[in-house]
Amino acid sequence: PARAASSGLRGGGGSAGAINAAVVGRIIRVDHAGEYGANRIYAGQMAVLGRSAVGPLIQQMWNQEKEHLKKFNELMVAYRVRPTVLLPIWNIAGFVLGAGSALLGKKGAMACTVAVEESISSHYNNQIRTLMEEDPEKYRELLQVIKQFRDEELEHHDIGLEHDAESAPAYSVLKTAIQLGCKAAIFLSERI
Amino acid sequence: VRCQLCLPQRALQASAALRRVSDEHKKEPAASSSQHQFDSHPTDHQPEQEPQGPRPSYTGQGGQESEDYESEEQLQHRILTAALEFVPEHGWSAEAIAEGAKTLGLSAAAAGMFHNDGSELVLHFVSQCNTKLSELLEQEQKLVQLGKTEKKTTDQFLRDALEARLRMLIPYIEKWPQAVSILLLPHNIPSSLSLLTSMIDDIWHYAGDQSTDFDWYTRRAVLTGIYNTTVLVMMQDSSPDFEDTWRFLENRVADAVNMDNTAKQVKSTGEALVQGLMGAVVTVSTAARALRAE
Repeated sequence: PARAASSGLRGGGGSAGAINAAVVGRIIRVDHAGEYGANRIYAGQMAVLGRSAVGPLIQQMWNQEKEHLKKFNELMVAYRVRPTVLLPIWNIAGFVLGAGSALLGKKGAMACTVAVEESISSHYNNQIRTLMEEDPEKYRELLQVIKQFRDEELEHHDIGLEHDAESAPAYSVLKTAIQLGCKAAIFLSERI
Repeated sequence: VRCQLCLPQRALQASAALRRVSDEHKKEPAASSSQHQFDSHPTDHQPEQEPQGPRPSYTGQGGQESEDYESEEQLQHRILTAALEFVPEHGWSAEAIAEGAKTLGLSAAAAGMFHNDGSELVLHFVSQCNTKLSELLEQEQKLVQLGKTEKKTTDQFLRDALEARLRMLIPYIEKWPQAVSILLLPHNIPSSLSLLTSMIDDIWHYAGDQSTDFDWYTRRAVLTGIYNTTVLVMMQDSSPDFEDTWRFLENRVADAVNMDNTAKQVKSTGEALVQGLMGAVVTVSTAARALRAE
């Protein structure tokens, strides 16, 4: 079909060498939404804590998320994947979550970071498993990107823990609530 | 997205056997050679029977066919392509399909393979047009990449792509209202919607759209609107070579691109304003702090 020919990265379901467009589409859509959301969360945190002592640290983590988003923007265009309709919602929700957690102080912000990065890392791990089960060779480039990003998200998670995330007010409640939200966001962004 | 047309299950043993045979022809003829012998009978009588095979898919995915055996899907596509010639006379109907089947040397009863509301014929035609359009746009892109043609502006590109696609309707324009009503039948909506969205997505892709935010949706929605309204205008256009339609199209595309530019301007002005405001706030608060410190 002309579509498969026009963009060599997408293939019809027929040939063995072509990628599974549906699976890859979902993966890129949800990852793009995740990085977009993470960007907004750090933006919210910076808006409140930007000029505090922890500001440079948050800025550094934010910069890495910006890199991640840039990469997924490229992959999205390359694989011709549509973004999730819910992006405007994640835009606002992410900012509100970031600013809200930062208003609880530095520890609140770190707790939010820990919760979100833990969710994202386990989500990336699931994707890595899925792709490995399909065909590690075919998806080598994508796997590399996801593995690298997962490692960087884990770093953020550890930084959060180092900076007293666990002594945040209502840490376990906060963490559970945020992770539930992340699960819902992931579920929806894969589909819509 | 596969076409979800379902005829009521008129279960013919022959059809099941035929499907098995076509499946087996795709695999290596390894073990079941004796079954092969038994099942190959129905294929000899294929043209006279009415096989109820899998519905052809219209959403761009070809079936898996081995070279020497024509699958049911390929046969159905051939019949539908042949039937197009008879559409101006018989409309999008089983009669046109029957005539098409006859030109291929098959019995008119082969039209029984299809719905009698002409759905498959219309969907087949639309899918064919979309494929032709994609090929056209692909070739044009290659020419631009090789430097043989100038890259068009967005509005020029959209206009030309839509005009090229709409011109494919000209031979059938008398019967196009009937086609539209068929495409809007509830059981055809999933397929027709899928064909429409993939066509619009293709046009934007070749136009160079790289949006990864909500713009992706607004652009496609706007272009879909332009396409649909232009089709309506075209069906009532009696000017020579449809000049009125192309002028309408030009104006709508210009409007859309204008809106897009205005929206961008509003956005950047808004962002500049916000930056200015934040700067002002910081300046004032710093000054106030300095004053208090004195």
